[in-house]
Amino acid sequence: MIARARRRVLDVYALLALGYLFLPIGVVIAFSFNNPLGRFNYTWQGFTFKNWLHPFNYPGLSSAIKVSIEIALLSSLVATLLGTLIALALVRYRFRGSATTNLLIFIPMTTPEIVMGASLLTLFLNWKIPQGFGTILIAHIAFNISYVVVTVRARLVGFDRHLEEAAMDLGANEIVTFFRVTLPLIAPGILAAGLLAFALSIDDFVITYFNAGTTTTFPLFVWGAARVAVPPQINVIGTAIFAIAVGGMLANILIQNRRARTA
Amino acid sequence: MSERFTRQDFIRRAAAGGSILTVPGLLAACGGGGTSATTTAAAAVKTLPKTITWSNWPLYIDVNDKTKVHPSLLAFEHHYNVNVRYIEDINDNDTFFGKIEGPLSQGQSIGRDVIVLTDSSGLPARMIQLGWLEKLDKSAIPNISNLQPVQQHPNWDPNREYSLPWQSGMTGIGYDPTKVGGEINSVEELLTNPKLKGKVTLLTEFGDTIGLVMLANGDDPSKVTDAGFARAVKTIKKAVDSGQIRQFTGNDYAPLLAKGDVWACFAWSGDMVQLQADHPGLKWVLPKTGGMIWTDNLLIPKGGNAYAASVLMNWYYRPTIMAEVEDYVNYLSPVVGADKVLEKKDPAVAKNPLIFPTQQMLAHVHQIDAKAVNNAKYKQQFQHLIGA
Amino acid sequence: MTLATEKPDGITGRGTSVGRFLHRRAWLTPYALLTPGTVWLVLFFVVPMYYLAKMSLEQGLFPLFSFSWAWSNFSDAVSTYKPQFVRSLEYAGIATVVALAISYPLAYWIAFRGGRWKNLFLLLVIAPFFVTYLIRTLAWETILSDNGLVVTILKDVHVLGSDGRLLATSAAVIAGITYNFLPFMVLPLYVSLEQIDHRLIEAAEDLYANRVVSFLRVTLPLSLPGVFAGVLLTFIPAAGDFINAQLLGTPRQFMIGNVIQSQFLDLRDYPTAAALSFVLMGAILVLVLIFARVLGTDRLTAGTAA
Repeated sequence: MIARARRRVLDVYALLALGYLFLPIGVVIAFSFNNPLGRFNYTWQGFTFKNWLHPFNYPGLSSAIKVSIEIALLSSLVATLLGTLIALALVRYRFRGSATTNLLIFIPMTTPEIVMGASLLTLFLNWKIPQGFGTILIAHIAFNISYVVVTVRARLVGFDRHLEEAAMDLGANEIVTFFRVTLPLIAPGILAAGLLAFALSIDDFVITYFNAGTTTTFPLFVWGAARVAVPPQINVIGTAIFAIAVGGMLANILIQNRRARTA
Repeated sequence: MSERFTRQDFIRRAAAGGSILTVPGLLAACGGGGTSATTTAAAAVKTLPKTITWSNWPLYIDVNDKTKVHPSLLAFEHHYNVNVRYIEDINDNDTFFGKIEGPLSQGQSIGRDVIVLTDSSGLPARMIQLGWLEKLDKSAIPNISNLQPVQQHPNWDPNREYSLPWQSGMTGIGYDPTKVGGEINSVEELLTNPKLKGKVTLLTEFGDTIGLVMLANGDDPSKVTDAGFARAVKTIKKAVDSGQIRQFTGNDYAPLLAKGDVWACFAWSGDMVQLQADHPGLKWVLPKTGGMIWTDNLLIPKGGNAYAASVLMNWYYRPTIMAEVEDYVNYLSPVVGADKVLEKKDPAVAKNPLIFPTQQMLAHVHQIDAKAVNNAKYKQQFQHLIGA
Repeated sequence: MTLATEKPDGITGRGTSVGRFLHRRAWLTPYALLTPGTVWLVLFFVVPMYYLAKMSLEQGLFPLFSFSWAWSNFSDAVSTYKPQFVRSLEYAGIATVVALAISYPLAYWIAFRGGRWKNLFLLLVIAPFFVTYLIRTLAWETILSDNGLVVTILKDVHVLGSDGRLLATSAAVIAGITYNFLPFMVLPLYVSLEQIDHRLIEAAEDLYANRVVSFLRVTLPLSLPGVFAGVLLTFIPAAGDFINAQLLGTPRQFMIGNVIQSQFLDLRDYPTAAALSFVLMGAILVLVLIFARVLGTDRLTAGTAA
């Protein structure tokens, strides 16, 4: 009885925490159906579907969202790859220079975004690299690597090396062992890191601002437009990205379940 | 966006009865801009480049909601047979300046023929000082005669040699009469009335906040003196220390005012036009001691094509064209006569004093002293005052 | 690792030549893994930092600065902006503790009760990032509005006085920071909790016959790397944040991030801004090292804090 009650308490607590996380998102979704007469979507005026029927009513919004998604996908992919390799090296091997590497991973996270943004700008100017899509991508990969390393490493630290040794005893070489044993085991960590990197990239404002040149991402567009308008379409786009991510995840889970049942 | 439309495309659309271009296109062709139209067009054939690049703020030009094009710009392209690369990449004066100062300080072009920056940021004045702007080609801008008189001689560019206004806004007091319980028309009331304690916001813009408070103190914000500035800082500090001032904001006072968290604040006229659409009860007034006016200016950065930029400016200084922009943007027109054009098409806009202020209102607005804005000591003190 | 070399490579099939090379040059492996990522960081983090470090010792007025070993930039920065420094560390500290209290049970629940929905819950955790921060903050302003439900309830139970408010207070800034960095806390916690072998916990429960003791003796220690990573990932960006103080606070809540931001963008005093940045980074580094010592995780995270 007591055990069950304790379970309940935890369930309730977790659901409350999820609710807290979700509360502002709920407001954002609700306001995507708002019907303001002016260009500011600030207070509730009435329900409408029209924002959803015309999500790209504002020129520039659609291209901004496309840029944001492309950069988030590319930067999270590259950063996850580079970061995972570093995490593997740091946890699995003892080598000269590991302390320096640790420092190199750690310090970017202690750097305020504005500092990183401004220093990268100085670099691109000094090296005469024209700013745009490429420099945003470079910057996003640079700030994402550390987060990936830390997330993946947390997974690797408690990793049971015996499993790998067993695989090798059975005749698998290192590479096969890595792909058949190590990778599946640390996959949740890599997935979490990739998700985090994607989310950080798509939400980044400060670093992007300094290094965007004439390219405009979604957060930059919203910021710039806010002087003249905060249209409900911005909520529609945010909600849509969120819904697509959740939908994809649900589909994935359902497919896996079906496979598990038929197997 | 618009550069993708070819001439043929345009003709097809026009023939299909799309009304996008009829107003600016036809009226312009009928000589809305006066006799100059034909002469500039003739000159244009000789020297206009293929492409003109223009950086502006997002959503700061007319848009046709259905076709997603900028009709006034499309008409320009058609009229002069030129492409305009219209980039909406200015989101903030200071950060945009941060982006372009590197190349400009090294004498490189920034690849733009026209940019738009706000005078009250002090940056246009500074760019003139640094020699980073090209002079306008006034022979290509006969329509400059349509410039509002109040805009003709700003203290930082007295003869408009380097700049022409794009849009302006007035800074005054926005408030909610139901919360305040009546009318407000003085800055003093905002800063001292105990009923408003914790329900007042001021602006983080130096020119706006210092300007309005200096006016309330009886000082002239267009000629800032050390003593006058010190008085303004003292007045504001007293209000901050007493808890009267809730926050210093950018235009994020708008949602707070709309939701009732802020009752009275320093506010921009353009925001209030939009807020009033949903909240007709909200009011905006120029303080009885006078309000401020700021202007976003069309500028030609070094390396830009001054002639081409000037032709573009001339186009927008036709009342018919500016009226088209104003009808969408709802800020203040620098072009005399734009309201006359709108009187038939959109009387609500034409009669709104927040979009087309009366001469009496315009007589009561002031521009901030550009030298003061660029005074490092003042700026440091102001930043300290607002918390950073 | 050496075991495999004794087996004939033929058995495993593909990738053999690379495999053989790595065996012979085993000491090279970590460097091969490290190189791409570290080169990136050196080029796009260390080199820019060098430029910034140079800037922090320069003097002059925009746009003409000249290098002069101006160490006074640092002492001036610290003495002028001490309150903002202290406030930043204070707010970030409180936000981190609150975030840990909210996140640990949530991460635990997802890891052990999430079942096949785990990934979906993880996605919900990072959901806030999908709606850009300006819209998120507008949503918070709606929720915490002076006339909103939350404030009304708090007034009814007399937590807030009759003219009390949440917006534009320290509480709002800290709440905003907590919310915005919560995913940074939940994710690493989840990652380290999720890999704990359930049988280990069951065995511990049999052994100690008390869930609390078994949690304290087994689960908690095993999840410490996650706690450590989560605390770092939350505290550090929180200490440098300026957006929450800007939008949800007043001048009295301004943090060092606001100062750095205004020095960079409004005042264009790049040397001071650069010096402030380095002081902030130094302060964070020192705090993290102390934290590592206290938590006794030197060994585990010898890495993280180096």
